[in-house]
Amino acid sequence: MRLVALDGLAEKTGFQLGQGVAEARAMCPEVDVLPADRAADRALLEGLADWCSRYTPLVALDGETGLYLDITGCAHLLGGEKSLLDDLLARLFHLGIEARAAISSSAGLSWAVARFGAQGVIAPEEAACLLAPLPMAALRLPADMIETLGRVGLKQVGDIIEAPRAPLARRFGSMLLLRLDQAMGLEDEPLSPRLPVASLSAERRLSEPVQGEADILGLTQELAARLKPELEKRGEGGRLFELLLFRVDGRVFRIAAGTSSPLIDPDRIAGLFRERLQAVHDDLDAGFGFEILRLSVPKSEKYEVMQEDFSGTPDRQRPLAAFADRVMARLGAESLFLPVLSESHVPERAAVFQPLADVGMLKTAEEGACSVPASLLAAFVRPQRLFQSPEPVEAVAEVPEGPPRSFRWRRSLHRIARAEGPERIAAEWWVDGEKAAERDYFRVEDERGRRFWLFREGHYGGPTQPRWFMHGVFA
Amino acid sequence: MAENAVQRETVLSLRETIAQIENRRLAGVVKTVKAADPAGFRRRQEGTQSSGRKVLPLGIPELDAILEGGLPLEGMTEIRNSETRDAGAAAGFATALSALCQQARQQKGDPAAPVLWISQSLASTEAGLPYGLGLKAYGLDIRSLILSLPRTVKDALWIAETALSVSAFCAVILEIRGNPASLALSESRRLHVRARAGRIPLLLLRQSGHEEASSAFVRLHIEPAPARERPLPDGSMLCGSIGHPVFHVIAEKSRSPAPVGLFLEWNPHDRRFYPVEPLPAAAAADPQPAHSVAGLSASSGRPGGAEPLGHLLAFPRAS
Repeated sequence: MRLVALDGLAEKTGFQLGQGVAEARAMCPEVDVLPADRAADRALLEGLADWCSRYTPLVALDGETGLYLDITGCAHLLGGEKSLLDDLLARLFHLGIEARAAISSSAGLSWAVARFGAQGVIAPEEAACLLAPLPMAALRLPADMIETLGRVGLKQVGDIIEAPRAPLARRFGSMLLLRLDQAMGLEDEPLSPRLPVASLSAERRLSEPVQGEADILGLTQELAARLKPELEKRGEGGRLFELLLFRVDGRVFRIAAGTSSPLIDPDRIAGLFRERLQAVHDDLDAGFGFEILRLSVPKSEKYEVMQEDFSGTPDRQRPLAAFADRVMARLGAESLFLPVLSESHVPERAAVFQPLADVGMLKTAEEGACSVPASLLAAFVRPQRLFQSPEPVEAVAEVPEGPPRSFRWRRSLHRIARAEGPERIAAEWWVDGEKAAERDYFRVEDERGRRFWLFREGHYGGPTQPRWFMHGVFA
Repeated sequence: MAENAVQRETVLSLRETIAQIENRRLAGVVKTVKAADPAGFRRRQEGTQSSGRKVLPLGIPELDAILEGGLPLEGMTEIRNSETRDAGAAAGFATALSALCQQARQQKGDPAAPVLWISQSLASTEAGLPYGLGLKAYGLDIRSLILSLPRTVKDALWIAETALSVSAFCAVILEIRGNPASLALSESRRLHVRARAGRIPLLLLRQSGHEEASSAFVRLHIEPAPARERPLPDGSMLCGSIGHPVFHVIAEKSRSPAPVGLFLEWNPHDRRFYPVEPLPAAAAADPQPAHSVAGLSASSGRPGGAEPLGHLLAFPRAS
């Protein structure tokens, strides 16, 4: 077992990363060693990244130990870079997290200074003199390259800042100079934010945290009302809304609510979150309350403003969309389905149910003709209820290939009075493979008048014994 | 004397309230609408319509008499079947009724109103999912059918209540299996009042359930009945064929009970019911089925079952 992370006291004691635990215990018998849990570390870092989105929406993860915050255009909201940094560090200190941070004009320089130098805000012109005394590791180089550089006496960044570039590139590759330029701010370095940035968001910071559901919903409605003019100006309506709740102890909850049509009405947006809060009820622990609420619109679409016409019949899509939104906010996206017909002979593929994603789907279904022609429907008899997976039955047929005489389904015996069939449906070889058996469907009526749809898979004298299945029930 | 008149007035107004709750008209009762309605029911608007309740006549005098004019277009109607294997018939009857509602809407020039079918997942796993192709051939316009498969009865009730509060649907089918405790009299009362307030017909499809007190206008027990044969172009019948579905409809709860029941045939092409005479064979088979395993299923997968070993003997008395 080896040490993979050290706290400040351990570093002062003189432990090294990669040192054996036994050796560390020999150096200091009362050392407290905890087993590493990378998943938990990652979860903590992501939680912190969520928490940092109170400063800027652009938060990127840096490996397993750091975060990049792109505060371009955000610093003035907190009274400048210095006060932002102080606020961040003070809050993290109160959360019990030891952090080092630096603000500079390039990600590489901030990385180097935060880890190896003095913290604080660095002006662009100080870059060279701050970097010079730092060790090579500050340049984010691979370990073997640092070792190679050290062997030739290049131990500090200052050793290569002034050195001629061509021999360095020839000997150590372009990586070294790229990292150096990135740290000096000469080369651009894109950061990839963890989450896509919402096109619109509104935020409310509270001096007194709120806990109650009614308060959260009231504030959500207020935020939605603040978003409305901007959405109207863009001619867009939100298809997905996200509510971020920052709890006072640093935990951040994200609650997303999708809609089935573009939406700008604050009351309906608040209504969506009312259902979502009901649905996530147990997972949302208010604790000591939420201090920041943010409503953002990650996904929006063109919103068509419609005028009521004089016919007197109200538009049907709008209440339907409201209904679909409420149901899907509460019970999940896969709770409403539309029947969709497709061109297939196999009954269970010919008509399937698709989740209702958009109320517009109903409208298009009306306009677009059904892909299966009506003559085809009239020719075949199909049951009104179909079992998802056919249920095996024990059937007795008079003649081998004929309709069954009686069958036992779910333990009860049905004697067949009349039968129609067979209708042979071959398997689709391009889906089921060439060896799938064909089915002979019979529509049968038992003595009490119940009508069933039975089929025999395979036929007598074939490679396998035929089996009978119940596939549907007629009205 | 004056006190008497006041009492009579009170009695009359109470009667009127009861009549309104029961949704029927009292002959000869003076229309004295009191200022407040304590029960919170929607008052009939004066002068909008004379009959008071909107119904959809089904075109069969006996059935319309049972339903007091036709299928109620605002409020709950319960449709029940007693065994799971009859679920096809009950679902078919409910589908036929909603197809009629759809047709009535279309005739009024309002084609977009969809039908919502809420099927608790237990019900649809036991009796099969509604099948689009079959429903289309059955006369329902499936382009405006929305299916919902909630996991629990509570979710199903919530969806139904939400659907009844928006005026977007032309019919709502709520399919529940058995008699769950979460759908008792008070819940059905609530759904019924919601359906009346929302002016939407709610068809409560109770799959393999028992008779239970509910607030529905009528409760119809649906049993399958042998179908007629298919007619041939020359007027004769195709021997041994299975024609349009036939239902045996028994009104279990109605103001004009008909214990014998009606035999109705649904014609998907015409989209209407036709009365049919019961087949003599079916009538004979009905009271005493020829085979023994009609009502109850056997306790094991095999006929007969193993005989219990040994004999059961009473011990001699000890004292």
